[in-house]
Amino acid sequence: MKFTPKPVDGDVNLSGKHPLREAVWLVAELLVILALLYFVFGFVAQFVAVRLPVKAEIWIGSKLEAKYQAHTDAFLQDHLDRLVRELPADSPLHEYSFKIFLDDSKKINAFALPGGSIVVFQGLLNTVRSENELDMVLAHELGHFYHRDHLRAMGRNLLLFLVARLLPGDQSPDLVLWLAGKFERRYSQKQELAADSWGLDLLYRRYGHVGGATDFFRRLSQKNKSHLAYFLATHPHPEDRLNSLNRIIEEKHYPVGETVPFSSGQKEKLGSGAAH
Amino acid sequence: MQFLTNNGDLVLFVLLIILGYVAGSLAEKRHYASIRKREREMMSMPVVTFVDGYPASRVTHSQLVTGSAVISIDYFKRFLAILRNLFGGRVKSYESLIDRARREAILRMKAEAEKKGAALIVNFRLETSAIGRSANRKRQVGSVEALAYGTAVFLEQQ
Repeated sequence: MKFTPKPVDGDVNLSGKHPLREAVWLVAELLVILALLYFVFGFVAQFVAVRLPVKAEIWIGSKLEAKYQAHTDAFLQDHLDRLVRELPADSPLHEYSFKIFLDDSKKINAFALPGGSIVVFQGLLNTVRSENELDMVLAHELGHFYHRDHLRAMGRNLLLFLVARLLPGDQSPDLVLWLAGKFERRYSQKQELAADSWGLDLLYRRYGHVGGATDFFRRLSQKNKSHLAYFLATHPHPEDRLNSLNRIIEEKHYPVGETVPFSSGQKEKLGSGAAH
Repeated sequence: MQFLTNNGDLVLFVLLIILGYVAGSLAEKRHYASIRKREREMMSMPVVTFVDGYPASRVTHSQLVTGSAVISIDYFKRFLAILRNLFGGRVKSYESLIDRARREAILRMKAEAEKKGAALIVNFRLETSAIGRSANRKRQVGSVEALAYGTAVFLEQQ
């Protein structure tokens, strides 16, 4: 057999298509599928959230609580209990036994966990300056329980988390949750405003006036001037919350009274930041 | 600015993808140009997979020659492959990787044989493998190795 040298023409082992084109196609397909799944899951979560008995919720909550590292706080618990006592006798919230946890992190945030647990971050406590303000924050979280927002959010997030886990690659969970956050935005901002409004009503029942309800958001909005950062946030810009609260106060003719400052002993309990 | 700091992970991810695409395509283009040029230059040395096919009476000696090349995946290719894993189909982004490793390995084997004065390579074999355990580990970008080996046959001058 005679060997005849011939140059290799073309690359039969390569699929010629431009890789960027492939990337765009694949990403687009993925997004469409995820968006569809997301809405289906959201719908299911919504459906379940309003029908799930409180007992089942408390059971779920007990599972989550074990995972959450935070400590109880008698002072905060006392405030929460006093708020709960102000609820109407027929309120569905009486089925819960609310517990409050303090997280040492500096984040200015608080959130509701299924089953009646509220987690408050130290950073938030450092920001509030009166009992009324603190009660407004707690009442807002109770509002989430009343609307069962925490279950809705959890249902969606749980399902999304599953999808994200199923995807190969290590960045994909972050990517999926980030994208989901974009979809979630409008939806959850509406929930936040509803919880604010509900909290305001409870604050009025507690004090007979709504003094201090807006102070917290006013301080936050002075701190965060940029609306851009809130474009993708799950919470509305503090200024929007401030405006919406003011509007409700006006509509309902709520009186705005003097706020009750923390006593010196309470300030210490709340952490050093509350003093200034 | 706050968006950037809050989404550091994502920004890093996108940057790595862009870097992977730009650097990866550039490197690939240059590598292919070099591969084609050298393939033409070394065209006259036969590399065959069968054992005979040479004038046995003229053989002075024979010797093992090897050539190997390791090519790394870039982030963009990896991203494409991850997406491919979801939908199935040809993992095109890895094809060029394997192709380059293979051709480069053959070229290096030929270069070794030529340097030693061999006339042809018989019983040519090719292996590929993923390099290191990192190839399958999280947050690691793997690479592929192609190893070409064969028997270089030396003929006495006529």
